[in-house]
Amino acid sequence: MVLLQIAEPGVNPAGPSERKLALGIDLGTTNSLVAHVDGGSVSVLADDEGLACLPSVVHFGAEAVLVGKPAEALAVSSPRDTIASSKRYLGRDAAEFAGSKYPELQEDPLAFVTSRGSVTPVEVAAEILQTLRRRAEQTLTRRVEGAVITVPAYFDDSQRLATRQAAELSGLNVLRLLNEPTAAAVAYGLDSREEGVVAVYDLGGGTFDISILRLERGVFEVLATGGDTSLGGDDFDERIVALVCEERELSDLDHSQARRLLQLAREAKEGLTEADEVTLYLDSVAADTAPVVVSRQQFNSLCEDLILRSLEACRRCLADAGVAEVDQVVLVGGSTRMPVIAQAVGDLFARQPLDTIDPDQVVAMGAARQADLLVGNRDAEDLLLLDVIPLSLGVETYGGLVERIVPRNTTIPVARAQEFTTARDGQTGLVVHVVQGERERVVDCRSLARFELGGIPPMVAGAARIEVTFQVDADGLLEVTAREATTNATAHVVVRPAFGLADEDIAAMLRASYEHAGDDMRARQLAEALVEAEQLIAGIETALAKDGDLLDGDEREYLNAAVARLVAASEGSDIEQLREAVDATGQASETLAARRMDRSIKTALGGVSIDILAGESPS
Amino acid sequence: MPVVADGRPGVSRDYFDLFQLQPNFDLDLDELAARFRSLQRTFHPDRFASQGAGEKRAAAQLSADINAGYRILKDPVARAGFMLERLGCDLKALEREPVDGAFLMRQMELRDAVQAAPRDAPARAALLAQVQGLEDLAIAALRAGFQTNDLAAAGVAWVQLLYIGKLKTEVAASSEPA
Repeated sequence: MVLLQIAEPGVNPAGPSERKLALGIDLGTTNSLVAHVDGGSVSVLADDEGLACLPSVVHFGAEAVLVGKPAEALAVSSPRDTIASSKRYLGRDAAEFAGSKYPELQEDPLAFVTSRGSVTPVEVAAEILQTLRRRAEQTLTRRVEGAVITVPAYFDDSQRLATRQAAELSGLNVLRLLNEPTAAAVAYGLDSREEGVVAVYDLGGGTFDISILRLERGVFEVLATGGDTSLGGDDFDERIVALVCEERELSDLDHSQARRLLQLAREAKEGLTEADEVTLYLDSVAADTAPVVVSRQQFNSLCEDLILRSLEACRRCLADAGVAEVDQVVLVGGSTRMPVIAQAVGDLFARQPLDTIDPDQVVAMGAARQADLLVGNRDAEDLLLLDVIPLSLGVETYGGLVERIVPRNTTIPVARAQEFTTARDGQTGLVVHVVQGERERVVDCRSLARFELGGIPPMVAGAARIEVTFQVDADGLLEVTAREATTNATAHVVVRPAFGLADEDIAAMLRASYEHAGDDMRARQLAEALVEAEQLIAGIETALAKDGDLLDGDEREYLNAAVARLVAASEGSDIEQLREAVDATGQASETLAARRMDRSIKTALGGVSIDILAGESPS
Repeated sequence: MPVVADGRPGVSRDYFDLFQLQPNFDLDLDELAARFRSLQRTFHPDRFASQGAGEKRAAAQLSADINAGYRILKDPVARAGFMLERLGCDLKALEREPVDGAFLMRQMELRDAVQAAPRDAPARAALLAQVQGLEDLAIAALRAGFQTNDLAAAGVAWVQLLYIGKLKTEVAASSEPA
């Protein structure tokens, strides 16, 4: 109810006739999917051939860029130009993949070497996202307002940021990055209105996530997340490959042979979901090689340690969440179709796992529901997603140790500060090195960013007071500010991954795509920016009319001046200038927005006393 | 590289006011949770996803304050620390004050006993019960201190609870399978 008082007219909620198109996208290691909400039910969008899964494979050939099945078909004949499982490389450092033969990597920033030059993992992801966006636009013949994109719960700041950059590059407006297991819980939670503690076991092609969530009165609270970024269905395929190579003494397979054998192994694994044994015919891999029979029991014991690894992570996550047992278990990811997995997970949690929604589609479907809500198609009284940061954030201190500022599993958004001081007499600058991870020593953690705070007046060691503030937004993305108290010297960074792309790189790629797109695109963008400006101005005018008393004379003048500049910019046709004015005016309205929210706190809680605390006197 | 200072940045907001609750040590945790959810349901940045940058930033800040307030108010030790600070106590100075000798002895005995006790032994359960007893006593002293407005007594109990918290962490760590 209170939300409606704050919401600006003309922004939301939309009437039924003007429902906005919002997408839920599961950007997977092996397959990617797109879903949307249509008249209250969620549907996954298929391609022309009726296939929902888009293989996350992109071919960067000399002639063309191909995405999905056509790219997959070229994987064997031109492995160098065909990039699969690129999600494993998103936001990471080339050094982490030392020794890998394919794909061929270039360092700093990490990029794949192809016939079209070097291609970063962000660009690969952008191609996949763009393909899904076009699929939605062509199927539904409407403009896409925004998208919720899912990421593994374990993704660190760099990986989340790389995902967001890929979306920007593909022309999608990111409404929210959502943890994959959380999205799955949204899909089930909304459909069945469950309350209680839920474990989401997500074994995808390349990553494993486990999340413990608490659902209560429409609030999804993530109690803890854990997992393993390098455990997935692919590892199970590898076990069959290893078995076959050993039994038939196959060694020195070339890349094409290895790919064919891997494909056979995957088919065998899938076959074992129904059959008790399968036969691998190896003629296409190596001539005169006898077939290999694999029984389900044999496969299960081959993979036992992989399953145990996932169960161990489940136990740790339960301990982190501080719960002894769960009420529901949700299975996500195609790999959970393996009967041995469902069995082991059911045994561990002593619950029959939920599997009524297709485990390959459940994440995209949950994301679509959340996207529909965020874009304002529904009055969202019934749902709020509270999320946590998956890994602790801290800074390096003297001696190469980590001082933790935001511990893992802290509910976001969060703002947390810690005071530091100088180590030497007369020290005038300070390097703030931001790291993420659970280990004590900096070298064992992930380096996120490094920046310098200068202008500290010379003092004796230990006298300076430097406050370092970490702010993590609802997407899990970090901003760090350092401030010296006596001088107010301030340094501020929006953390950009040490191993990713700089903002300038993204801007340059975007410019290139605009130029490529031509006049139509520019006209569309100008029109969009104008609508945004109009909505912003209307919103501020309404807010001022209603709550103008919350600003003093100077503050009001400052805001009015920003609005006047925006009105002037709207009359021109310079997109860059208009965008800047929209941003500046938005920032200028923050004080008013914050005070209006403070004013409505009582109203927000008034509802609690009546609805939930019936009979108790309001304090 | 920076050095961790012994200070802590001051609290910027009165969380009791934010949650519209009387500043009492005894809180109904169900009511607190209900208020937390109501506030987040109204002010979480997701509710402002299609609005201007000003609203988004203001919501992110308020939502972070609501999270911080909930984290502090739901935990008795953090809540007591916040109440003391709110009433003008210097927590840093409190932490530096000498601790009662008898309490310290008891504390050290228990710590040694924990380290000596074998894993999963019934002896460990008995030790845990003793630590719990120590905690209950300190919480009772804290409650009495706030009720009678004896901030000095509440401060002493609060510092004791910090020690007990560390002890509990050690017990938990030593109980985990190797």
